[in-house]
Amino acid sequence: MGKPILHIDQVSKKYQLGVMGSGALKKDLQAWWNQQILLKKEAHEPEVNDEHNKDYIWALRNLDFKIHEGDSFGIIGNNGSGKSTLLKIISRISVPTSGIIHGRGRIASLLEVGTGFHPELSGRENVLLNGQILGMKKKEVLNKFDEIVDFAGIERFIDTPVKRYSSGMYVRLAFAVAAHLQTDILIIDEVLAVGDVDFQRKCLKKMKSLTTETGKTVIFVSHNMQALRSLCKKAIWLEKGRLIAEGSADSVINKYLTREKVETLSQYYPNPEVAPGNEWIRIKQVAINPQFNTQISYIDTRTPFDFEFSFWFMGYHPENTQVLIGLYQLTGECIFELCSEEVKIEKGLVDGRCRIPGSFLNNGYYYISMQFLNGNQETMYEFAASVAFDIIDYRNAKRPFGKWDGAVRPDFPVELSQVSFDAP
Amino acid sequence: MENEWEWELRAEKKWFQYGLTELWQCRGLLQSFVRKELTAGYQQTIMGVFWLVIQPILTTLFYFLVFSKIVKVSTDGAPPLLFYMSGALLWGYFSDCLTSTMYSFLHNAHIFNKVYFPRLIIPLSMVITHTVRTGIQFILFLIIYVNYWIFNDAVHPSSYIWLVPLTLFFTALLGMGLGMIVAVFMAKYRDLEQLMNFMLRLFMFVTPVVYPASIVPEKYKVLFWCNPLTPVIETFRLGFLHGGTIDNFYIFTGITSSLLIFFIGLTLFKFREIKVMDTI
Repeated sequence: MGKPILHIDQVSKKYQLGVMGSGALKKDLQAWWNQQILLKKEAHEPEVNDEHNKDYIWALRNLDFKIHEGDSFGIIGNNGSGKSTLLKIISRISVPTSGIIHGRGRIASLLEVGTGFHPELSGRENVLLNGQILGMKKKEVLNKFDEIVDFAGIERFIDTPVKRYSSGMYVRLAFAVAAHLQTDILIIDEVLAVGDVDFQRKCLKKMKSLTTETGKTVIFVSHNMQALRSLCKKAIWLEKGRLIAEGSADSVINKYLTREKVETLSQYYPNPEVAPGNEWIRIKQVAINPQFNTQISYIDTRTPFDFEFSFWFMGYHPENTQVLIGLYQLTGECIFELCSEEVKIEKGLVDGRCRIPGSFLNNGYYYISMQFLNGNQETMYEFAASVAFDIIDYRNAKRPFGKWDGAVRPDFPVELSQVSFDAP
Repeated sequence: MENEWEWELRAEKKWFQYGLTELWQCRGLLQSFVRKELTAGYQQTIMGVFWLVIQPILTTLFYFLVFSKIVKVSTDGAPPLLFYMSGALLWGYFSDCLTSTMYSFLHNAHIFNKVYFPRLIIPLSMVITHTVRTGIQFILFLIIYVNYWIFNDAVHPSSYIWLVPLTLFFTALLGMGLGMIVAVFMAKYRDLEQLMNFMLRLFMFVTPVVYPASIVPEKYKVLFWCNPLTPVIETFRLGFLHGGTIDNFYIFTGITSSLLIFFIGLTLFKFREIKVMDTI
C-alpha cells in the first residue's frame, strides 16, 4: 500500500433547493449583509443531519476517508447518494460547504467523454483542444497523438469535422484522449458504457493496465458492479451522502448488493386487522426466497428463486378464487403473468408459492404484483408491487459488458460444430 | 505526514488569490481556445478565415457609403468616414469584450460542470479573439487614414497618437472588467441578460460614438466625461483626426475607473468562479 494521495477530511456539501423567484435577490442580500457586514452566523445554520429541510439538501455529510497511491478505488451507491457530488468536489468543479480535501499530484477528471468537443472542428483539432481542457500540456498531447488516434481506430477520419462522425467514432476518439491522460489521479464517472462491445473491452483493458502497470491512482464510479469488481481493489459505499461501508471492493460490493435484498425482498404482517387488504383478502406475507447454490448471497441471473405468499381469506362464503401474479420491470413493462388454478377456498389462511427458474430473467430491477380474482373473474383485491428485487448481472469473463438486450436471458445452449476443414 | 500534501481544496477562499502561475501554465489551452474561437465559425465556408478580413472591409465600405455620401452630422471638421470608423471600432471592441465575457459561465456551463481549468481562460480567450478582430479592423482604418493624410491632406496626427495603444488597452480592460462583474451575477440572476442588452444600447448613446464630445452642453459635461469610455474615444480621435487637447483630469479619471472596475471584476470572478456553478 502506498502513501495516502488524497484525504477527504470531514467534507460536507449543501445544495440550495427551490426555484429562483422575485424573493431570491432579497434573501441573498440579507444573507450577504448578515454574514459579510454584520459577521453574524445564520440564525438557523442548517444541520448536517437535518433530513427534512425544504430549503437545503445535504449531498454529502461529513465524509472522511483516504485514498492511497496506486489504489483503484470504486465508489458505489444508489442514484442520489452523493457519488457525483463527491467526484465534482474532488475534481474542483464544485467546492465543499465545509471540510477540506488534501491531495498530491496532478488530477484529471473524466466525468463525461468529449468535454469541449466542437462539432465543426476536425478530429485532430479536437484531440488537441480536449486534451488540453483535460489538463495535458500541448506537447504531451502531440507526443501521444499517434497513440490516441491508433487507439480510437479512426486514422482515416482524423481531419474530418467531428460532426460527421458516427456516435461510435465520436466516443471512441473522446475516450482515447482521456485514456492517455498523463496524471497522477484519474477520476472516471460511468464512462465505461460507451461504444460497441469490442471497444468496451478495449477500454476495460486499458483501464486495468492504467492501474496495474502505471501505478496510477484511479477513482471509478459505476453502476456496473461486474466492471467495478474487476477493476477496483478498494471501494466505498455512499448512501444519502454518508459513508456506509469502506474496504476491499469485493466486500463492499457484496454488502451493497445484499443490503438491497434485505430491504425489498419480503413483507410480513402478523395481524390481519392492520394487514394490507380489504373485506375479502388480507395479506399475511409475501417473500422472495432465493435458492442459492453458490457462496454469493444475492440474486444474480443464475439464481432460481421462489415467490412465496400467504393471505387470509376473509369472505363469509367459500369462493372460487384465482391468484394472478405479474412480474414487471421497473419501467412498468410486464414481463409475464402467471395464473393459478381456480380453487374453492374457505375463510382462513392460504399459502401459495411459485418457482422462477434461474438463468431465465435478464439482469435488472423487477417487482411482482398480485391480483385476487373471484369466481366471476372480478378483482377482489390487487396487491401492487408486493416485492421488488434486483437481479444482478452474472457472466463469465468472455462475455461482453453492458446490459444484454431482451426482457429474458435464458441460457439455451447454442451449439457449434465444425463440418469441414476447407475454406470455400 | 500532513505537510506532505501538495494542495488542498476548501470552502473558504482568500481574496486576491488570482492564481496567476496556474494561468500561465495553461497558456497552451488559452491559445487553443482562441484558435477555436477564430476558426470554428468559418468551417465549411469557401473563404475560410479570410472572412476575418472580409467582414471589416465590407463594414468599412458600408460606413464609407453611408457616412461620407449620405449622412451629414457634425464631426468637428474631421472626415466623416474616419470619424465614424474610429467610434465604431472602439465601441465595437468594448461591447464585444463585454458581451462575450459576461456569458463566460452561461455559455460554458457544460464544460465547467465537467472539468476544471482556471476559468479566467474563457474571458481572456474571448478578449484576445476580439483583439485580433479589432486589430484587423484597425489596420484597415490605418490604410484609409494614410490615404486621407497623404493624398487629401485632410487630417494630421497629433501628439496624442502615442496614446492610441493605451486607448485600445483600456477599452478591452473596461469591457472585460464589466463583463466579469456581470458574468458572476448573471449566472444566478438571468434578468441581467435582458437588462444588459438594453443598457448597452443606451450606453452607446451617452458615449461619443456617433457624435463628437464637443456638442454636449456645458451643464452635462462633467457627468458625460465620467463615462470611462468618453476619454478613451476622444483621445483616439484627437490623436488621429483633429488637434486640440483633453483635460488631463478626465484621462486620469478614465484610467482609474477602468482599472478599478477591472480589479473588482477580476476579484469577484476569481472568488466566485467555482461556487457560481452551483447556482446556474
